[in-house]
Amino acid sequence: MSNPSYAYYPGCSLHASAGEYDLSTRELFAALGVKLTEIPDWFCCGATPAHNVDELLSLSLCAKNFELAEQVGGDVAVACAACFSRLKFTQHTLEANETKRVQVEKALDAPLKIDRTVKHLLEILVRDYGLQRLSEKVSRPLSGLKVACYYGCLLTRPPDVPNLDCVEAPTIMEDLIEAAGGTPVEWTHRMECCGANFTLSRPGVVLQLSNNILKSAKDAGADCILVACPLCHGNLDIRQKEIENTHSTDYGLPVLYVTQLVGLACGLTPDKLGLEALIVNPMPLLKKKGLL
Amino acid sequence: MSRIGVFVCHCGENISRTVDVEQVAAKAALIPGVAYATDYKYMCSDPGQGLLKKAITEQKLSHIVVAACSPRMHELTFRKAVASAGLNPFLCEMANIREHCSWVHEDRTEATTKAIEIVTMMVERVKKNRTLDTITVPVTKRALVIGGGIAGIQAALDIADAGHQVVLVEREPSIGGHMAQLSETFPTLDCSQCIMTPKMVDVANHPNITMHTYSEIEQVDGYIGNFQVTVRKKARSVDEDKCTGCGICIEKCPIRKIPNSFDCNLGMRPAIYVPFPQAVPNTPVIDRENCTMFKTGKCGLCQKVCGPGAVDYQQQDQLVVEDVGAIVVATGFDLYNISEKPKGSPIKGYGEFGHGKIPDVIDGMTFERLASASGPTGGKILRPSDGKEPKQVVFIQCVGSRAREKGISYCSKICCMYTAKHTMLYKHKVHDGQAYVFFMDARVPGKSYDEFWRRAIEEEEAVYIRGMVSRLYQKGDKVVVMGSDIAVGVQAEIEADLVVLATAVQPRSGADRLAQKLGISYDNYQFYSEAHAKLRPVECATAGIYLAGACQGPKDIPDSVSQASAAAAKVMTLFAKDRLEREPIVAKINEAGCVGCFYCKKVCAYGAVEEKEIRDRQGNLIKIIAHINPGICAGCGTCQATCPSKSVELNGYTDEQIVAMIEAL
Repeated sequence: MSNPSYAYYPGCSLHASAGEYDLSTRELFAALGVKLTEIPDWFCCGATPAHNVDELLSLSLCAKNFELAEQVGGDVAVACAACFSRLKFTQHTLEANETKRVQVEKALDAPLKIDRTVKHLLEILVRDYGLQRLSEKVSRPLSGLKVACYYGCLLTRPPDVPNLDCVEAPTIMEDLIEAAGGTPVEWTHRMECCGANFTLSRPGVVLQLSNNILKSAKDAGADCILVACPLCHGNLDIRQKEIENTHSTDYGLPVLYVTQLVGLACGLTPDKLGLEALIVNPMPLLKKKGLL
Repeated sequence: MSRIGVFVCHCGENISRTVDVEQVAAKAALIPGVAYATDYKYMCSDPGQGLLKKAITEQKLSHIVVAACSPRMHELTFRKAVASAGLNPFLCEMANIREHCSWVHEDRTEATTKAIEIVTMMVERVKKNRTLDTITVPVTKRALVIGGGIAGIQAALDIADAGHQVVLVEREPSIGGHMAQLSETFPTLDCSQCIMTPKMVDVANHPNITMHTYSEIEQVDGYIGNFQVTVRKKARSVDEDKCTGCGICIEKCPIRKIPNSFDCNLGMRPAIYVPFPQAVPNTPVIDRENCTMFKTGKCGLCQKVCGPGAVDYQQQDQLVVEDVGAIVVATGFDLYNISEKPKGSPIKGYGEFGHGKIPDVIDGMTFERLASASGPTGGKILRPSDGKEPKQVVFIQCVGSRAREKGISYCSKICCMYTAKHTMLYKHKVHDGQAYVFFMDARVPGKSYDEFWRRAIEEEEAVYIRGMVSRLYQKGDKVVVMGSDIAVGVQAEIEADLVVLATAVQPRSGADRLAQKLGISYDNYQFYSEAHAKLRPVECATAGIYLAGACQGPKDIPDSVSQASAAAAKVMTLFAKDRLEREPIVAKINEAGCVGCFYCKKVCAYGAVEEKEIRDRQGNLIKIIAHINPGICAGCGTCQATCPSKSVELNGYTDEQIVAMIEAL
C-alpha cells in the first residue's frame, strides 16, 4: 500500500528552538515511508501575536501560506499546535465570512485558495497511516514506559475548529502511545494551559501553571510527558529546572515530542531523534527502561 | 349566468399604498359575469362585512371574490359572512393581493396590473366553484393519555372528572413519573410524594379511568374522533387481577442485588419488585433479565410463596385495541446522561466532568433520591463513594444546556430553581455544610421564584459563583472543581466532597418512534411540536392529538399541570359535540372512471384511501375501486395529480378550476 505524500509546514519553532521536533519528524516519516515535501518559501503563520493585534494580518499570513502550498501536492502536514490552530482558524473564518474573504483577497492580490486539508502529525500517524500498521513497524515497544500525554490548549479547541478529536476528552495521543507499546497514565491536567507565550512577558504565570501540570503528571506516576507543541515543550522542559527551584521540588520528568517517542519505538537511534537537545535528559530513563 | 361580486380591500394602507384599489375594482367590474365590484378600507371589519352581506341581498349575487389578504388570514371570516347572507360559503374565494402583491412590490403601476390579474384569475375560478357541504364524522367520547407522570395524571383526572372514559398508558410498572422520585418541590418545599401519591390513588380508584401500566403504544390507526390504538401490555409475570399486593414475593426473592433505577441506581432491589413502596398499581413485576427462574429455569420461590397464585411465568405480552376519539401525549423527559456520548448524535458528551467515573459526581435526580425521605439513605445526604456526609458540595448548572458547541442550545428551564432548592435541602440537613453553585445566569421568572432563589443565597448561605466549570477530577477523597469566577476575574478551584450536575432536560428516549406512530412532528431534539407556538400551544398539527408536559419542551411541575389541564379542556371541547365538523376540502373518486390501479393509495400520506367493492344487482363483484375516507383526507391533492384516469377530484381545487385560473392569465 503506497502512502500519500504531504506538503510539510514545519513552522518557525521547528527551524529554531524545536529543531529536534523537525529532525525526528523527518526521520520518523522517512522510516515509515511517508513522503514529506517542505512547502517552498513558507513563512510564519502569525502565531499568537498576529491575530491579537490585527486579524486581517493573521488571516492573510495563513492564506498566503496556503497559496504557497499549492506548489506541493497532498494534504498540509503541520507539527506545531499553534500553526495548526492558525491554519484551521483561517479556513474556518474565511469559509463563513464573505467580507473577510474579500479583504484577504485584496491583501494577497490573488484569489483565495484555502481548501487544502490541514492535518496535524498526530492525525497522519493515527488515522492516515493507521495504528495497526504503525504497531507493525514497532521494533522496540515502549514496554513499561508510563507516559503522560499532554494536549494543551490548541490541539482540540475550540469546538468545531480543529476537529482533531473530542474537544475536552480526546484519546488520540493515548491511542498512539498504546500502539507504540507504552502505557498512557490517567492524569488530571492533560488539557490545562501551560502558560504558553506568557513565558516571555509574565514568566511567573508560566511557572505556576506549568508546575501544576508537572505535579499532576508526577502524582499520576508518569515517567515522562509527551507533547505535540513546541511552546508547551519549551515551558515544561526548558523551564522545568526553574519550576523545581521556585517550588522547592524535584520532578525530573523528560518531556518528549510525539515523533521522538514513536520514532524510538520504531527503532530510530537517539542521534536521529535529537534526544540530546532536550534539557531534561531522557537518557537515564530510557536506559532504565531498556529502550536504548 | 353567474352574478359575481368583487370586493377589494385597502387593508388600511397595506394594500392601497402600492395598489390602486379603485382601479382594481373598476377593472373587475368589466369582467364578464361580474355584477358588482367595490372597494373598502377594511373589508374584514364589521361595516366591511355588512357591506358584503348587503350587496349579496340587494344585487342578488351568486358568487363572491374578496380581494384582500391571504386566505389563511380571513377566508373563514368572509365565508362565515357569505353564509350568513344565505349563500353557500364555498362559493366565496379570496384573491390574495396583500402577501402576494402589495407587500412584495414597490412599483405602483406594476403592482396594480398584477392585482387585476390575480382578481381576474379568482373570478374565473369562482365561476367553476360548486356548493359544498360541511362533512361531519362521529366522535368516540373516550380519550387516551400516553404517559403517567404528573402531566398525564392531571389530564386523565380532568377528562375523567368531566364524565368521559380515559385510557392511561404508562411504560413503567407504576404511574408517578419523575415527580414521584423528587424529594421536595420548589418554590414551597412541600414534599413531592405527599402531593403526588394521593393523585396516583385517585387515578387508580377513578371509575372512568382504565390504566395500562408496563405497557407501550404499538400502533395508532384512524383519525380525530375515531382512533384505534393498539397497546402492548408487557408480560408482568404477575396476574394483576389475582395479586393482592402483599409483598411476600418481594421479601422472599433470593436475587437482591439489582440496581434500582427508581433510586438512580443508588439502592438495590430484588428480581420481582415494585419500583417504590407507594407504586400504583401495587402489583409487582418480574425483571426477566435478572430472574434466576427465567435464566436457568430453577427457583420458582415467588410462585411457591404467593397465596393467591398470581405469579405466572408463562404470561405473554398482550395486545389490546382501544377505540378513542382524542389522544393526549404526556411522555415527559429524561435527564441527559453526560457520561454517554450517543453514537451518531450531534451531542458531544462531557468526558471532562468524569461523570460515571468519579462516584461522587452525580446528577440532580440522584441528589433528589439522596434527599428524599423514601430514598436509599432515608433522606440523609450521604455521598455514594464512602457514605460520608459531604461538607462542601458544588452544584454546577447548565451542564449540557445552553451549550451550542456541545450539541444542545436550549435552556432546560427547571435547573436554576431546582439547584436553589438543592442548596436549601442540603443546608437543612447538613447545618455545617457549605453549598457552592456555578451558574451562567439565574433564570427564575416564575411566581415566587425569584424570592425563592434569593432566599437560597441570603438566608441559606449558598455561595453563587458566576462562571463555567472546565474540569472535574478526583484528588484523594475530594473532587476538584476547576472553573472561572467571572465576577472577580479569577480562576476558581474548589475541593468538594460531592458535585451535583444540573444536566439538561431531554425528551424521553424513543420519543421519535412514538411520534412516527402518532403521525405528529418533533423538533431537532425530538421535543414534540405544537401547532402554533403562541395561539395553539397544546394542540399538535395532527387533529385530535394534544400535548402536555415536558414532552413538548422543558417544563416544571406548575407548567406541566397547567398544560395538562389545558389539553384536557381541548379534549372536552372536542367531546362536547356528538359529531365533528370538517371542511369539505377532500378528494372524491369518480366511481365510473376509477379502474382500481390504487396509485392514489400509494401516494396518500394520510392513509385515507380505502378499497371499495362495486357489485351489480345480483351481488356479483364488478370491480374493486378506490374510496376516500373523508374523515382522514387532509385535502393535499396528491391523489388528484397522480390519478392516470383523472378519476379523483379535490373539492374546491378541481382541475377545471385550476385550468380556468391559468387560462385567465
